[in-house]
Amino acid sequence: MTKSRAVAALLAASIGLAGATPVSRAADPAASFRQDFLAGAIAWDKVEARAKGEKELNFYYWGGDDTLNVWIDSVVRPAMAERGVKLNPVRIAATKDAVDLVVTELAAGKAEGEGSVDVIWLNGENFFTLSQQDALWGSFAERLPNSKNFVWDPASPLSSPNLRDFGTETKGREVPWSGEQYVCAVNGQYVQAADAPSTFADLKAYLEDNPGKFTYVKPPHYVGNTFVQEAIYAHNPDGNGAEPFQKSVDELGAEELARLIAPGLDYLKSIEPLLATADGGKPRYPEDTAALDSMFLNAEVYFNCKFGIYAVNSGLITGRYPEAAQEFIFPEKLMIKNKNYLAIPLNSPNPASALVFADYMSSVDAQASKLKTVGYPVGIDPMQLSANDRELVKIAAPSHYGVTSEDLDANAVADTNASLVDIIEATWLEYIERGSDKPIADIVADAVGKSAPE
Amino acid sequence: MRGDRSRLIVILELAPVALVLGGLFGGAVVLAILQSLGFAPWFGINTFPDFSYFARLWSGEAFWISLGFTLYYAVASTVLALVLALILSLALLKSFTGRRFVKFVYKLPLVIPYAVGIALAILMLGNGGMLSRLAAFAGLIDDPSGFPSILKTHYGWGVIAVYVWKQLPFMTLAIAAVLVGIGRRTQEAASLLGAGPLTIFFRVTLPQIAPGVVTAVLICFAFNIGAFEAPFILGGGYPDTLPVIAWRYFNDADYALQLQGMAAVVSIGLLSGCILLAYLWSYRRFERRIGRD
Amino acid sequence: MQSPSKQMRLSVFQRFYIVAVVAFVLGPFLPLVIQSFAFRWAWPDLLPSTWWLERRTYSPVPLAWDYVLSPYSQVGVATINTLFIGFAATLLCLLICLPAARALARDRFRGKRAFEFLLSMPLIVPEAVIGMALLMIYIRLGLAGSYTGVIIAHLIPTIPYMVRMLTSVYLGLAPDYEEQAAILGAGRVRILLRVTLPMLMPGVVAGALFTFLVSSNVFLLTFFLGQGRIVTLPTLLFSKISGGSLDASAAGIALVASLPGIVLFALSERLVREELFVGGLGR
Repeated sequence: MTKSRAVAALLAASIGLAGATPVSRAADPAASFRQDFLAGAIAWDKVEARAKGEKELNFYYWGGDDTLNVWIDSVVRPAMAERGVKLNPVRIAATKDAVDLVVTELAAGKAEGEGSVDVIWLNGENFFTLSQQDALWGSFAERLPNSKNFVWDPASPLSSPNLRDFGTETKGREVPWSGEQYVCAVNGQYVQAADAPSTFADLKAYLEDNPGKFTYVKPPHYVGNTFVQEAIYAHNPDGNGAEPFQKSVDELGAEELARLIAPGLDYLKSIEPLLATADGGKPRYPEDTAALDSMFLNAEVYFNCKFGIYAVNSGLITGRYPEAAQEFIFPEKLMIKNKNYLAIPLNSPNPASALVFADYMSSVDAQASKLKTVGYPVGIDPMQLSANDRELVKIAAPSHYGVTSEDLDANAVADTNASLVDIIEATWLEYIERGSDKPIADIVADAVGKSAPE
Repeated sequence: MRGDRSRLIVILELAPVALVLGGLFGGAVVLAILQSLGFAPWFGINTFPDFSYFARLWSGEAFWISLGFTLYYAVASTVLALVLALILSLALLKSFTGRRFVKFVYKLPLVIPYAVGIALAILMLGNGGMLSRLAAFAGLIDDPSGFPSILKTHYGWGVIAVYVWKQLPFMTLAIAAVLVGIGRRTQEAASLLGAGPLTIFFRVTLPQIAPGVVTAVLICFAFNIGAFEAPFILGGGYPDTLPVIAWRYFNDADYALQLQGMAAVVSIGLLSGCILLAYLWSYRRFERRIGRD
Repeated sequence: MQSPSKQMRLSVFQRFYIVAVVAFVLGPFLPLVIQSFAFRWAWPDLLPSTWWLERRTYSPVPLAWDYVLSPYSQVGVATINTLFIGFAATLLCLLICLPAARALARDRFRGKRAFEFLLSMPLIVPEAVIGMALLMIYIRLGLAGSYTGVIIAHLIPTIPYMVRMLTSVYLGLAPDYEEQAAILGAGRVRILLRVTLPMLMPGVVAGALFTFLVSSNVFLLTFFLGQGRIVTLPTLLFSKISGGSLDASAAGIALVASLPGIVLFALSERLVREELFVGGLGR
């Protein structure tokens, strides 16, 4: 055999392997455990016993917050070890990476029990994607012992973030982990909190006097998407804010959606030349919150908007925020509030461990500890707790700077239906970032066409 | 003994390397090409041969702008690094106090990851960075926005700075070693014959170091065209360089876009392949003209 | 006409230039070190307004170096991974490249030029092409996210250098010694261990150091094929700075990430002649 023929044979072999038929069908025990548990046929102690026999639990989560990393490693890992589960926290740059991994693995034939992701911290369009791809393990949340800490009764308004995640029905396929709200901070050294803008019109007026002192995180980062959503709520031509955006794209239709979002996007386009380093041209949109934090610290901008009810407290503790940082209410009545969740993918290789993990995370202890150390608000509903536990949570809460939690609650608003998020994001990218001169209606129609399932 | 060694032994000796390069590397390249032409049965897509991914990619105006940026970053940084390396390696030929120290220091970036170079660029060149602070200290600006934007612009100063920082030692090493090897005698002879320094450089030195320069340029240029980290972190955003575009396609949940990403990746390969071939071809011509080979 | 002795000294421009190059290379490390010890360092301060040590005792979370050197930062794991993958890839690379280099140096065979061409391809084909396409193959083979997979992938960018360096050593090594040893009755293994390897040693060391350096610098292949499960110093640092900002712990990680290369490089300055490195670059 000559050299070149040998190489050719090797090439063929490697491609043959690549194109081989999917690996064997679901390992049966995995599928039956899932079905039995979801049917309520497995007692919790059996789940705990099974978890002890499983391998490392792979928890995929956004690893960009040092404080959260410390908490996971120093609190959650030992707690799981006590339960006989070895936790392997996988820090990822973006939650989408974990979702993609699950979907890729499923596409590559790694079915039930054969994947590599056990639990993902997510919400919004990432959950929506997994839900659409039928890549979720099932309705486990209400079967966890700690599900008693949540309000599930649809009649109570408190249940809504537990039952719906960006408008997608959770159906118990994910369990709430933290609550969050989009809060802006101001650098008090340059702007008094009382003088900070409270509406989008104020913001524009402020920027006309002080160009360059504001920017927001660039979509498709969810923190940027949320800012865009708030601007769209504020400029809703019907004047009913978030209300129409609770509907899915199928209910609204492309034309109606375009009509609703156009004024908000036009506003964002109009402030573009006034944003950071724009100097009348293209501004700098930071890629993530860390980049925005550093611009805020260096007084390149005087404001910092992101998810984080206790972000100022955390920023002061870590030195990421300027000393004079303060929270303020912006935009009035339109500060998006939602929850984020823990989901188990369909092909989780260690589902019993995943359940034990999700249950632990829903406990009062874990939630209070997370609130105190990391500054992430609780995902459980305090009204479901005993008076003692409720006090525990209250004491654990970090301080506010400039606003009260009542102020924040009074200005809270719902997030946007997940099916709209990608379309609004795509429209922002096309209309603002790429500076397309196509009418918004056409851009939205294109985006809707692309996102429609085949 | 040389003739005795049977072919089988030669094949066995080459087999492991051939297996890795042919199997994994070659396999990956072939697979990339197949996917970019619509062959992806694992996503339930198989329209091979399907040129629509390339057509869609190449028909957009943004693609050509991206291609321009990719080329610009790669060419500018390679040329800049080459010129700086030539000057440095000529200086290093001389003897001076601290030469050992300088010879150690200039090579450092060679062994330090790109990400560190990027971190240094962020720290030095950003609007809130060291240079901006020094400018403020000198009273030139009174606000970070007064400092010219170096990072995150399409001029790509940041990207180029990192590439040059990292590749200057690589090129210098390749040139300096050859220069030391050929010794100064030819140059001295030429100088004794009355040639000026520029003439010596272009007529005597350059042809001798050419092979080393060609290889170093080849490797650096190919790397710069395909590199992703620096333009991703320091680049000007949309329209991005081709590797960043491919990366974004790859990170899209829509699998059809992964094939689009493959088309982008293959385009990078095609681009660098064409340029390198043209470059090698002109080098061969140059060699033949000066009567070598 | 210049006298040779005058030519030997640096011109004013060259003197200035060398200082500039040293400043360009080393200068940025000064703020990096400062940043790694800072608690709050805002524009336009030339030094941090609050240092980490001032805050250290009463901070509820580990800051700066406390974080970097704690297990939470994953710096320890990443360092071990970088070293382990580097060593394994180097060893493997050496094992498969030695015979190939021998054949390339000693034998004439059909397709040699094609083989040499194949050898240089990984230097020319962008890493992005390989990384993205390999991922699919890897998922199929179950290699994605595994050490084996990452180590094998690291062979791709390192083989070209290793083979070149070893070949150039083999070329400089006359086969006579091996023949004489054989005539004197030494066995194959003995010849390899007692004659060939010692004579190859300088090349092997140079190749190994260079391979290790390349491997410890690889980002894209590790990032893609490790699937976030295998953290090395370059991938850890990339995740920290991907948004384009750098805090104290990121600065610390950047310093740690520079260390293996610098240590190894200092070693190599003592162990290896520069020409050997260049042997891998020439041609």
